[in-house]
Amino acid sequence: MSHVHDVLSARDISKFVNLQVLARQVVEGFCTGLHKSPHKGFSVEFKEHRQYVPGDEIRDIDWKLYGKTDRLFIREYEEETNLRATILLDSSGSMKYSGSRSNGLTKHQFAIRTAACLAYLLLQQQDSVGLVTFDTRVRHYIPPRARPKHLQAIINQLDRTQPGNETDLGDVFHEMVSKIQRRGLVIIISDLFGDIDQLLKALAHFRHARHEMMIFQIWDPDELDFPFRQWTQFASLEQTGNEHLVDPTQLRKAYLQKLGEFRDQLAKGCSRHRINLVPMTTDQPYSDALAAWLGLRRKSK
Amino acid sequence: MTFLNATLLFGSLAAAVPVILHLLNRSRFRRIEWGAMHLLEAVIKVNHKRFQFEQWLLLLVRCAIPVLLAMCLARPVLTGNSLLAGTSPVSLVILLDNSYSMDATAAGVSRFEQAVAAAVAIVRNTTPGSEVSVIQTGGIPTPVFDQPIFDGEAMIRRLKTLKGGYGASDMHQSLNAAFATLAGMTHARRELVVISDFQPSDWERRDIMAATIQQQFAAMNVKPVLSLLKVGENVTGNVSVESLNFAHRPLGVGEPLFVRANLKNHGPVAVDNVRVTLTVDGQEAGVSQVSLAANGQTQTLFTVAFETAGSHVMQVDAATSDSLETDNVSAAAVMILDQINVLLVDGDPSSQPLKGETDFLSVALTPYSFGRMKLSDLVKTTTVTADKLTAEVLADARVVVMANVPKLKDDRLSILQEFVSDGGSLLVCPGNRIDTRWYNDKLVTESRLLPAAFGTPKGIINDQGQSAHIVAQHFDHPALEFFNEPANGDLSTAEIRQWFELKTDSDLRSGFLEEKSQRYRTTQLSDVEPLPAVLARLDNGDPLLVEQTFGEGVVIQMATSCDADWSDLPMRPFFVPLMQQLVTTMATQFTPPGNIRTGEPAVAVFSTSSVEREGDQSPDDGSLPPADFDESGRSLSITTPDGARRSLMPTRQGRRMVARFEGTQQPGVYSMTALDGRSIHFVAGTSREESRPGMLDEEHMTTLAADTQASVVATADEYLEQDRLRRHGQDVWKYVLLAVLAFMFLELVMQQRFSRVRT
Repeated sequence: MSHVHDVLSARDISKFVNLQVLARQVVEGFCTGLHKSPHKGFSVEFKEHRQYVPGDEIRDIDWKLYGKTDRLFIREYEEETNLRATILLDSSGSMKYSGSRSNGLTKHQFAIRTAACLAYLLLQQQDSVGLVTFDTRVRHYIPPRARPKHLQAIINQLDRTQPGNETDLGDVFHEMVSKIQRRGLVIIISDLFGDIDQLLKALAHFRHARHEMMIFQIWDPDELDFPFRQWTQFASLEQTGNEHLVDPTQLRKAYLQKLGEFRDQLAKGCSRHRINLVPMTTDQPYSDALAAWLGLRRKSK
Repeated sequence: MTFLNATLLFGSLAAAVPVILHLLNRSRFRRIEWGAMHLLEAVIKVNHKRFQFEQWLLLLVRCAIPVLLAMCLARPVLTGNSLLAGTSPVSLVILLDNSYSMDATAAGVSRFEQAVAAAVAIVRNTTPGSEVSVIQTGGIPTPVFDQPIFDGEAMIRRLKTLKGGYGASDMHQSLNAAFATLAGMTHARRELVVISDFQPSDWERRDIMAATIQQQFAAMNVKPVLSLLKVGENVTGNVSVESLNFAHRPLGVGEPLFVRANLKNHGPVAVDNVRVTLTVDGQEAGVSQVSLAANGQTQTLFTVAFETAGSHVMQVDAATSDSLETDNVSAAAVMILDQINVLLVDGDPSSQPLKGETDFLSVALTPYSFGRMKLSDLVKTTTVTADKLTAEVLADARVVVMANVPKLKDDRLSILQEFVSDGGSLLVCPGNRIDTRWYNDKLVTESRLLPAAFGTPKGIINDQGQSAHIVAQHFDHPALEFFNEPANGDLSTAEIRQWFELKTDSDLRSGFLEEKSQRYRTTQLSDVEPLPAVLARLDNGDPLLVEQTFGEGVVIQMATSCDADWSDLPMRPFFVPLMQQLVTTMATQFTPPGNIRTGEPAVAVFSTSSVEREGDQSPDDGSLPPADFDESGRSLSITTPDGARRSLMPTRQGRRMVARFEGTQQPGVYSMTALDGRSIHFVAGTSREESRPGMLDEEHMTTLAADTQASVVATADEYLEQDRLRRHGQDVWKYVLLAVLAFMFLELVMQQRFSRVRT
């Protein structure tokens, strides 16, 4: 049986323990927590007073105010809900890539650690976390739970996941939209390789379902600067037999340009749908990147 | 295109290196399992074709670099479209200008020395097996060797001994000679180099020459390459002694001779105080000082008298310090006659003064003796009667005059015939006592001694109204040339009252002079068919004087008598010069000219005695080596202007020995010395056309070159360079090296540029 500490070092965990994940928008919550909810109800955080109308609960009347003003007001509180976060982990073949500068981690391993961190973090603050692993289609779906034991289930699943197959983000995401019925935070950990138009459509679909979106895009440094010199046969990690023998020096500029276009398109699409896109490279400590993002997230609240 | 170091072309195999590197790179590729294939694929898909093309292009450029480098090291040469000659042997003709203008000196080096140096350089650089002929253009074109030779070193040795100062170049003739030589040469590559100072006077007939050359080119299967090599610097200013003028008549000892020297200043600056010296046989005989205006001419007159008989040389020197010294001297040879023994055979002697048939003649021939003057006569007369005509009296005589001799006995006649055929001269004058039948039978029909038969006497002795006159015409005969000058007397004033009609059986010709000069130059005397020639005619058309050679001698037949019976000729003032001229001309007609043009043979005639008699003894000067003696032990020596001495074999012609020397191309004095120590001098002269110091300027040279399809070169090195270009083509390794650099740069640029992407 896997243990949390297999994937998270004590140091990693200590880094996240004081951080809080806050959803930007109000998400429907199951249990009250730090997250604001549009549902007014039993809560400690005062929101506003309103005039009593017949039919309102008598116990909601602010009697102290009645004593002062001689009028009946209803005291309203904001509901604190639990965040329902679903982590979508890309397990496609392209995540198998491991460059020379990534400390021996494949992108997928990096993604697993990131996912574990997030799961741990969210469960720590009583939010519910679910996990979806997918490649061409959804492989495993663990619905969100807020119990601390749930972490074990997620980590077990993460540990078992092996990358393979092709990516088809569009179809998977469409499928997931129907599965995640309650609004919440959708965290996608992927390299997002694939057809960008379809991807953006799928993301728009998520947004349409009023989910808050956060994408951790995992890059290997090699993919960003294409450092190859000698003749290289590039073999696709996803499709066997798709091989190209090329002179990388000749391609480098073209590749980088193409890469720039891709990232630009993605960034624009994400900002259009108000999706937080966080590029991460496998050579930087994933915990640092995660912490930096979470800090940024809190600031933007 | 060829390569001088063709083996280095193997270096171009290095072109394989980029290919091998390329293949090696491809075969030693790395395999990477790649994730971001969708990005890579898109790039590859869009740019694949272009990448491939660029790859090829780059590979091509990279391969080209070692190939070009190898080519560069292999020394490529461009040869154009012409046939590649390479190191094949060549047939080379060099026209070497050795005319006297080439003696012009600048900075201590004469043009001729430069020309010889250039010729040596060119000959030295011919490929082995080449045949070379060098033709000297001065005077008449003369090849250095009779045949083109294959031994370049021998040619060079010979070239170095050549001397300039020859006569003016006849470029037209020279070019013809050169083409004739070229036509007989063996190699396919033919070169003709003209080394000259290109004086305008030599190339005046440029258009004709160009036409000739083009014609020659058209006729030749293998066209020679014509190069014009101009040597020497242009000099300004030159004073020349153009010519010496004096009367060309027989001169006796002590007779004054007026020599007029013509001097010309060819420069634009006046020359003052030129000391002009006349020397005779090396002794100064007169000095004068002249001044010459710019481009001016002047004359100076000297009077000379010669104290001894024989051949003399006069030389006029103008002491100037111009760069061309050769033409500051002009020389002439003069033959001074000793004494001419004339035997007068009187057919009608008389004891009374001037009544004898030959009395007037005797007086006319010896005017000084008759006038008891101090001067000695050139002619010494002896008068005999017909029956006293013996071999003894004839032995000393050079001219015999038969005046009104009725007839001769047969033995006397045969003596006379022998005398004439051995080279004696005979003047026959008729008269009232001659037996015309005997003359016509014996002398005309039988022996052909006389040129014409005596016909019927014409005219009436005492009737002056019926008299005939001598036609005043231009006389070609040297004896009568004197009277072409009106001041010397008018022959037509004489009245011929009676004369014989002279009938010849063949057409009488008057082309005496040509025939005679022709005879000297080309053939033996006896080869010429003796033809009568009319020297002078009467105004009714009858010949007055008819001349014909007989054997070695000459016979002149007169139509009238030589005394005053039939005409008043003896009364006329011109009778003395007429007779003097006739007799001296007849006596000296076999004295060939002493003043010749360069290239004409120098001919001397000796009496057999002067050779033979002395030949029996050992030569007293001892200068002639025994090897020079032929089997009969007779030889002459000749000294040429450059001091060389050669022996000469005279040939016997009748009573005379004739010596001919052909090698008179060099202007100057040639001295022929007989065994008795007597010398005969010849002066080979040349025209002074080349004294004008100009040279063809660049423009004219260019036109000339264009007209003659030639190329103009300034130095032998330039010629050799051009020759090398023609043989091997142009060296282009520099350009190839530039191309290498350009390709290297291109490779760099392409490499940079090809890594950019098309969007």
